[in-house]
Amino acid sequence: MSNETTNQKPKLNLAIYWGSACGGCCVSVLDVHEKVLDIVAAADLVFWPIALDIKYKDVEAMPDGHIDLTLFNGAVRNSENEHIAKLLRKKSKILVAYGSCAYMGGIPGLANFTVKEDLLRRVYEESESTLNPEKIRPLTEVKVPEGKLTIPHLYNTVRCLDQVVDVDYYIPGCPPQSERLVEVFSLVVSGKPLPPKGTVVGALEKTNCDECKRTKSENKKIKKFYRPWEIQDDKVTCFLEQGVICMGPATRGGCGVRCVEGNSPCRGCYGPPSTSSDPGAKMISAIGTMIDSNSEEEISKIIEDIVDPAGLFYRFSLPGSILRRKVV
Amino acid sequence: MEEPRIGVYVCWCGTNISKMVDVEAVSQEVSKLPHVVLAKNYKYMCSDPGQELIIKDIKGHHLNRVVVAACSPRIHELTFRKACEKAGINPYLFEMANVREQDSWVHTDRSEATRKAIDLVIAAIRRVEFHEPLEKRSVSVDPATLIIGGGVSGMIAALEIGNAGKKVYLIEKTDRLGGHVAKFDLLFPHLSSSKQMMRPIIQRVENHPNIDVFLNTQITDVSGYIGNFTTTIQVNGNEPAKLTFGNIIAAVGLKPFDPSGITEYGYGKFPDVVTSIEFEEMLSKGKIFTKYGKEPRNVAIIHCVGSRNKNYHEYCSRTCCMVALKYVHQIRAALPSANIFEVYADMRAYGKGHEEFYALTTHKQIIFLMFDQQDGLPRIREADRNDDCNMIIEMDEKLSGLSIEVPVDMVILMVNMEAVDHVKEVVRAIGVSLCGNQFFIEKHPKLDPVATTTGGVYIVGTCQGPKDIPDSVAQAKAAAARILATIATGTCPVEVTTAFVNEKMCCGCQTCISVCPYTAISYNKEKKVSEVNEVLCKGCGTCGGTCPAGAITSKHFTDLQIISEIEGIMSMSYKGF
Repeated sequence: MSNETTNQKPKLNLAIYWGSACGGCCVSVLDVHEKVLDIVAAADLVFWPIALDIKYKDVEAMPDGHIDLTLFNGAVRNSENEHIAKLLRKKSKILVAYGSCAYMGGIPGLANFTVKEDLLRRVYEESESTLNPEKIRPLTEVKVPEGKLTIPHLYNTVRCLDQVVDVDYYIPGCPPQSERLVEVFSLVVSGKPLPPKGTVVGALEKTNCDECKRTKSENKKIKKFYRPWEIQDDKVTCFLEQGVICMGPATRGGCGVRCVEGNSPCRGCYGPPSTSSDPGAKMISAIGTMIDSNSEEEISKIIEDIVDPAGLFYRFSLPGSILRRKVV
Repeated sequence: MEEPRIGVYVCWCGTNISKMVDVEAVSQEVSKLPHVVLAKNYKYMCSDPGQELIIKDIKGHHLNRVVVAACSPRIHELTFRKACEKAGINPYLFEMANVREQDSWVHTDRSEATRKAIDLVIAAIRRVEFHEPLEKRSVSVDPATLIIGGGVSGMIAALEIGNAGKKVYLIEKTDRLGGHVAKFDLLFPHLSSSKQMMRPIIQRVENHPNIDVFLNTQITDVSGYIGNFTTTIQVNGNEPAKLTFGNIIAAVGLKPFDPSGITEYGYGKFPDVVTSIEFEEMLSKGKIFTKYGKEPRNVAIIHCVGSRNKNYHEYCSRTCCMVALKYVHQIRAALPSANIFEVYADMRAYGKGHEEFYALTTHKQIIFLMFDQQDGLPRIREADRNDDCNMIIEMDEKLSGLSIEVPVDMVILMVNMEAVDHVKEVVRAIGVSLCGNQFFIEKHPKLDPVATTTGGVYIVGTCQGPKDIPDSVAQAKAAAARILATIATGTCPVEVTTAFVNEKMCCGCQTCISVCPYTAISYNKEKKVSEVNEVLCKGCGTCGGTCPAGAITSKHFTDLQIISEIEGIMSMSYKGF
């Protein structure tokens, strides 16, 4: 992006918001380093809670469609997330689900393997570091002399952004690669035609193995599954062929296979390619065919080595998958 | 995609369905669904008027999708596909809901069964919406046939095909044609001469203008697919020859079981304990004699050696009871005063003329002694110095309940048949499967006993399972007829619902390659993608299921079709979270 082109155009209004998120996505925006100057040259940041003191009421006061581009990161997990998601949808021309949590539910989405009550009991009563003999739970409403205080209430089910509001584009990643953000941002600024609504942008079409430099063969025969720390990785051979579960084949490329380049198996944060609706199910099917045994007994034993399979295969994708949540 | 216009037909199947399912309620309920133009019910959808109803509606209402709720698609899917085709729509734009076997026949509550029928029909409607037209495909057929094995089955098949004017390449591993049967002396139950039967067959095969015989030859690798196979053979150190052919018959036979491992019988230890194969050779030479060249005065024939016993083979070899009875006739003729003992576990005489043969044999002044397979085998030991015989069989005689000793000078072991040594190489070369007993697996155990799941590959004779000569010949002629039919047609249809790889999505992980049971998938190193050979593909769907990138689609079983079907079946009872 060059300053000449941006100078000729009115500045864009850009908003960045976090729902149920860790903050990593907001930090990834800063991770563009000196390119952040290009961004602020081309856009006014009208709302970004992590960095700017702009209140919700300021957003509510904006006319509809006032914001050109909103990057919404984080899942929708409580009434506040939902309220702001709906508000930003109204105020934004383009709403982008930014990062794995907004896109598919992400790590917070793993809460869908349990229910709210079990979760609160664990956190406020049972966790090893909790001392709460009166079993006090947070209340969504409390009366104090000055009046009534409210906090958002927690939902039983974590949802991804498009399960709550209409979403224009998706940028996957935990967090998204900053370079990809710059590409997408530049495209919006350039005024060139945008891809069709609903497109996953800032990512590749093929899955990670396509870019992965490790040697791959059809010899994916697994007698024992290893967690990465349990074996000496040879740094050359496909992780799956070494018995380490790598989500690479089921995960859209675009990250630059960073984890594998760092000798760690892919965890699946970029989500499924367009041809697959459920990366967890796809990967479980694939892994199933790799187990090198025909004896039911031996297979059960081999599978026991996969610690927390649901959490492993759906680490980033549970709310947005066909599975969505544990049925209770 | 054009707007789906779906016609739904609910069959009464007389009272088979209508007794337990309210067919009127089903057609009423589903008629409300989007894209459903009409929903009817009729007494017999498979009847001519039933099919006419569909054809008339397709034309009159411009239907482009059809659902029939009736019996199992195994019975009438083809019927209704043809009706669709007749009316001018692609036969794959049809879906069947099974409301008989999976509903009316298995339920007793009419309202529940009706509700289930509605669910099943909705599933079919939701699925058919996403059906795509598929085109029938066929490949040309090379008129030559490769037959592996020059025994009776292989030769009969070769003659059938050769006599019809088509080329046959007959491959035989040994240096002569005829297999085991050519070594036999007489054949049961008519005591006819094997050699008189076999010699003309062998001569006709050897002199046949359409049959090329390759002796001392083995097949190591066959490539290609139905209609278009090739292999290279090496004959006696000559130049390798390349053969092309459209069909394959495997007739590799079985080999006799080696009884050395059965310690009770002392085969290998006692020289006068011989196998049925060795005894057959003795008969061919014209003289029954012991190791010392003497005529045996006591001969025992032990049945089920290596058969029907979990320690050896669990299966019955089907022929040895009759061969054992045949020996009685031959021994009695040669040694009128010898004592003959039939030491058997069960007498199996199920074939044509076999029971009569058994009855005839009982008049030959012989002694039948029964043992219990589950309760310890007879045991052969050397006779004592004073005994008037070479060996003693100790056994618990089942019918009398007595422990007895049987004096014998010669023991014939009726050995089972088992897979030939090179069976695995044959299986690998022609791409068929083996059962647990190492017999070749037929396509259907009842209805297709000579074809295999690999198109163009047939199995005949004992390699498919132990059998006698007439059964082997029947199979050989059946396979020949099947092959001649495809040659006559000139082309043969190949699977329509195959899998294909979307090269734009394949990441080259190669997970799919080893899961394909038909070796239809290979990795293209230049393009870095997997490729499906659609002629080899049988559409089993394994690769589509395993592909982690969703790059492989099984035609007619796409994710969209299956997920829509599931959503359809859940739509009435499942309302989300």
